[in-house]
Amino acid sequence: MVMVTLPNVRLRGIASCVPKSAVTNLDCPEGKRSERERLVRNIGIMSRRICYPWMCFSDLAKNAAEHVLEAVGWRADEVDALIAVTQSPDYPIPATAIILQDRLMLRTDILAYDIDLGCSGYPFGLYTLGCMLAHGGIRKALLLVGDRCATLQDPIFSDCGTATALEYDPTAAPIHFDMNSDGSGYRAIILPVGGHREPMQIQHLLTRVDADGDVHRDADLILDGTTVLNFSTQRIPPAIRALCDYAQTPLEAIDYVVLHQANRMINETIRKKLGLTAEKLPSTLYDFGNTSSASIPLTLTARLAEPLQTQSTTLLLSGFGIGLSWGSCVLRTNDVKMLPLIEM
Amino acid sequence: MPLDDTLQGLDMQNFLEQFVMAVDFQTPVPVEAATPLESLPEWDSLAALGVIVMCDTEYGVSITGDDLKTCVTVGDILSRVNAKRR
Repeated sequence: MVMVTLPNVRLRGIASCVPKSAVTNLDCPEGKRSERERLVRNIGIMSRRICYPWMCFSDLAKNAAEHVLEAVGWRADEVDALIAVTQSPDYPIPATAIILQDRLMLRTDILAYDIDLGCSGYPFGLYTLGCMLAHGGIRKALLLVGDRCATLQDPIFSDCGTATALEYDPTAAPIHFDMNSDGSGYRAIILPVGGHREPMQIQHLLTRVDADGDVHRDADLILDGTTVLNFSTQRIPPAIRALCDYAQTPLEAIDYVVLHQANRMINETIRKKLGLTAEKLPSTLYDFGNTSSASIPLTLTARLAEPLQTQSTTLLLSGFGIGLSWGSCVLRTNDVKMLPLIEM
Repeated sequence: MPLDDTLQGLDMQNFLEQFVMAVDFQTPVPVEAATPLESLPEWDSLAALGVIVMCDTEYGVSITGDDLKTCVTVGDILSRVNAKRR
């Protein structure tokens, strides 16, 4: 594991934007109701937000970015770097961050590129921009994180775009990071066609119906549930404990542990293994499902806006998933501008 | 009855109770050690996740999806757990 401490990086503000359009996991044929109730009980996800067909991740992120810029009082031409963490780009190429540089009317002498990570992405994004800010070469930066990953059929995923404002500040408390990558598990969560190994062809779009009446295509995401569950519940608790040791901040001294919102089984198992109370581990699973890399900032927006705005708060953030990859950070916040949840 | 068998029997009763909770049956069904997993109406991917979590949190043993595929009866799962506990 790579453990790093970054000085001079201040979390200034967060905005999260979700589509207005909501579906619930009990929206199903009458005959499937009791099976769906069992599913909701176990995965802990009732409502999900889903983009209108014309809406992209970048539309949600742009909306969030405009709000956060206004809240922290930055002009667009003050921003020095923009990173988008997404696996839902507007196009396969070019990078969505560069398109957003123009749409947000930022300067052209800035850094703008994408990071191709999903559920683990938020700490990685904080780390990447944090490295740029720590030296003071970059003074103000925007981190746009999220995905358009919801479908009507899948009960887990939900759409969200978020914007985080980060600033060079020599008075900021240091942020401690732990980042990990294990590509041997790359098949656990995979979109297996559409890249160069397996270019998309017409047969990948043919539908077949399984024994439960669900429709599948080769072009759809494959998620190996048992592998992801074992990975998350075996790897994350020791990684969090190791980071706490490195940061010399015992778990008891952390005000809130904000995990990627995977599903209730995974998150509850991690919580029990860490011996934490539910109050210390806020969740947005029931209302917003698994919003991929946006789930940590969305949970901060929806559950911790008040303490983050009014108190100095010690947070441990932990993202894990596709790759496989997992990253966590411990940071002490002060006076963070937290926007109310934006719906569009 | 040898002591080992008694312990095994106690273990099994406790395991069966945990198993029933983990699968989260919508309508109760009798479950015994010899019950074939495939005969259970709710032995699906969700049930497998529940059983893996249960083995981890109750017995401190990591059971994989591949482990479960080798199990024919409910009792086979406990045998896997016991084998990994040793």
